[in-house]
Amino acid sequence: MKGVGMVMDNSAAPGMQLPWAGKQVSPEHVEVELSTLWRLAADNMRISQNMNVRTSVLNFVICAQDEKTARKASAVLRDLASTHIARVTLLILDTRSDGPSEVSTWITLRSFPIISDIMRHHFEQVTATVGGKAIQYVDNIVQSLLKPDLPVYLWWLNDLPEDHDIFHRLIKLSSRVIIDSSHFTQPEEQISAASAILQQAPQCALSDLTWGRVTAWRELIAQFFDIPEYRPYLMAVDTISIEHIVATSSQALDHHSSQKNPIRALLLAAWLKTRLGWKLSEDESDNSRDPVTGTYSWHMSERDMNKVVTQPLSAITSGEQKTSAPLGGIRISVQPRELVKSAPGTLCLVRMVCTVEGKQAIFTIERGDDDDHVLTSVEVPGSPRPPRTVSIAATHKESDLLHNELEIMGRDRLYEQMLHEVFALLAE
Amino acid sequence: MPQRSVVEAPNPFREGLRIKESLEPCVMVIFGATGDLTHRKLLPALYNLALEHPLPAGFSVVAFARRPYTDESFRQQALESINQYSRQKPVNPQVWESFASGIHYLQSNFHDPEGYTKLNQLLNKLDQERGTSGNRIFYLSTPPSQYPDIIQNLGAAGLNRNRKGWTRIIVEKPFGHDLATARELNRQIAKVFKEDQIYRIDHYLGKETVQNILVFRLANGIFEPVWNRRYVDHVQITVAENLGLEGRAGYYEESGAIRDMIQNHMLQLLTLVAMEPPIAFDGNSVRDEKVKVLHALQPLVGREVQNNTIRAQYGPGWVGGKQVPGYLQEDGVSPTSSTETYVAIKTFIDNWRWAGVPFYLRTGKHLPKRVSEIAIQFKQPPLMLFKDHDTQGQVEPNVLTLRIQPDEGISLKFGAKVPGTDMQIRSVNMDFFYGSSFVREQPEAYERLLLDAMHGDSTLFTRRDEVEAAWAFVQNILDEWGAAPRDTIHSYESGSWGPQAADEFIWRDGRRWRRP
Repeated sequence: MKGVGMVMDNSAAPGMQLPWAGKQVSPEHVEVELSTLWRLAADNMRISQNMNVRTSVLNFVICAQDEKTARKASAVLRDLASTHIARVTLLILDTRSDGPSEVSTWITLRSFPIISDIMRHHFEQVTATVGGKAIQYVDNIVQSLLKPDLPVYLWWLNDLPEDHDIFHRLIKLSSRVIIDSSHFTQPEEQISAASAILQQAPQCALSDLTWGRVTAWRELIAQFFDIPEYRPYLMAVDTISIEHIVATSSQALDHHSSQKNPIRALLLAAWLKTRLGWKLSEDESDNSRDPVTGTYSWHMSERDMNKVVTQPLSAITSGEQKTSAPLGGIRISVQPRELVKSAPGTLCLVRMVCTVEGKQAIFTIERGDDDDHVLTSVEVPGSPRPPRTVSIAATHKESDLLHNELEIMGRDRLYEQMLHEVFALLAE
Repeated sequence: MPQRSVVEAPNPFREGLRIKESLEPCVMVIFGATGDLTHRKLLPALYNLALEHPLPAGFSVVAFARRPYTDESFRQQALESINQYSRQKPVNPQVWESFASGIHYLQSNFHDPEGYTKLNQLLNKLDQERGTSGNRIFYLSTPPSQYPDIIQNLGAAGLNRNRKGWTRIIVEKPFGHDLATARELNRQIAKVFKEDQIYRIDHYLGKETVQNILVFRLANGIFEPVWNRRYVDHVQITVAENLGLEGRAGYYEESGAIRDMIQNHMLQLLTLVAMEPPIAFDGNSVRDEKVKVLHALQPLVGREVQNNTIRAQYGPGWVGGKQVPGYLQEDGVSPTSSTETYVAIKTFIDNWRWAGVPFYLRTGKHLPKRVSEIAIQFKQPPLMLFKDHDTQGQVEPNVLTLRIQPDEGISLKFGAKVPGTDMQIRSVNMDFFYGSSFVREQPEAYERLLLDAMHGDSTLFTRRDEVEAAWAFVQNILDEWGAAPRDTIHSYESGSWGPQAADEFIWRDGRRWRRP
């Protein structure tokens, strides 16, 4: 479905030219000019006999560092027709030290067909370039461009800024901030920064599109243990191996992209650790990490019995209930795997090995022939199970992930908890 | 091996996921697996659930039917059906291969005990090979006349329960032909299965918009205060079809509109609109309230049936640009048939909330279009400040319309001032369209209902007392119609909104039918 801007009249103006952003207007005339566009749209509707739907549920503020990124984000919006956006405010921050101190604004109505061309869905888009000293007041500039009495969702593209003050100012006016840690150029450092930011802005929810990419894997892991017969194996997991894809050196050079991004693997490791009630060994020699290759290994020292669902088999048989239990030799590892034609950071293996009475049970999810499919399998002693192929294609499209985050009204407590867990794992 | 004493603990990985309840692998045995329902609805629904993977690994299907198929030939036919009827097509070959490996065909007559012995063996084998742990759902997708044989044989083979897992049975409508046969069927099933194992399916309850009736009423604070006799003038429930018999004359001659639509779908819609808020959103709490509504329906007895119902048959006419024959001229229909293709009913609910508020129900075939909706018309303001001569027309009452299909959504009609110097009032609609607000594809009703049955959630299935209470209301009408002369059956042109008598029927109350 292709969207069209209703007004493409980009009057000649000094400075940056953004023909894709609609009509350039002065910031103080944004509201009046948008009203004019709506009246024109109503006339068009009468002429074309289309049904037009104007949605009004949230303000969507997108913050980009350059025009190319902004334009790419603007293109993603055409797939968000169902998200009830009232107004998109697309900020382009010109952080060059020698850039002019000015604010320029463009307006357009975005119009997309819903199901067929008979019914069209509209929202407003205001594009604003902010440069020089004006950046320091970006929150006030955005405030003046928001639709009243609607929540503000901020999509922060690319890396978190070195100057966190800008980010903090925008967070203060936002109900939710959406980041994508899969695009961080320095993933470990940036994810730790996100964790810290979250602690400093408790009123604002934080979402990460990367967490959405992990959801299908979490769902499939959960499905293993939906089978009551397998649930006791949770108490006997002794090794978890997670593998993520890294680009070959030549690929990274070819695409100027980050060669590795272990965030998905780290989030999954953190989730498994907390769900199993494991505590990290405090002995630093037990844990190792190599950010250069993306290889990590942690040993667990203790199981918090308050966090797990059941007691170990030995405790149950003896009738002795415990609040904590020591663990020995339990390990989570994150390993890189070089693979061509696959995006760095993509998960390609999760294997949980359990040992019960000297026999091993293995639960595996492995990348299939392509990134869209995974193979799940269970090897339980004396109980062979057929493997299954599952499609996870729905977790790949950025607009789908974004759509899911825009539908969440409250905080995603589990993600926030995992962010802190990843921070703790990286701190070891 | 780990001891089973710990298996009852919840799955710790489920927290924070969309599906919070564990779904255990199971086998679904479909009786009548070569039939239309299986191929158009059940198999596509199961495939969609596998594709979007709420279905667990190991989930298996046993297709039980009389025709000679092998596993492979049935899988091939299933693939063709899914490719034709699934909302997700073409079929994903990799997912299909995994899903198809769990489909098995068992050829047997429904009355042959040997078939059930083989079924038992196959189910035990699947438990071993695919880890289905003794969890079984039996789906009766056969003509109702086969139900007693199947149920009895399941019981005789010991398949009605097992020690390892759970056993449930899904029974398709029609659930009985009248009150007596519904009671008899309930009695027969109850001899073999407990009530909490029985899932009587009415696919209308799986529709998103039907489920939304409860959300709309109970998740919003602004509607409940006006949802009663003080503010509501009357309620109209319409289920209109533009189709005729579509080759189902044999079935329809036996059922007619009242059995086909009123006894199940329309009384279900009525209960959802009229019920009191349940104490919890679970199977029995919701159904307790629905049953109360059915018990509170004012029974129509004797002359009340004549005064409060209209039945009719369609005559020749034009529908959808095509000339169509009248009902009595249809193939397979007796020229002296008294089967109704149109019904209108006025009924009251005798409770504090609804006393004195008429509920008008109408359904028919060969009406101008296919539409299902519930319209709640509110009373006029107590004092009309704006007189007709001032407003250049009558100020129309507020109407809240819940559209079930097509164009699923909700609209509220209210008066607004037309811009200008004079006081002209015109009704405008405030619309919420599912299609434009939630562009995501809605799951098919069967997907939701099959998943609920696997979860053991019976909220959207009808309970024994609910079915019997609905039949009790309808039975009085059937008895009276049966005793009335044939000339009490009205006629209407195909493509019209029903007989003139139905218009007069509601005009008598100073009201009129909506034109959906």
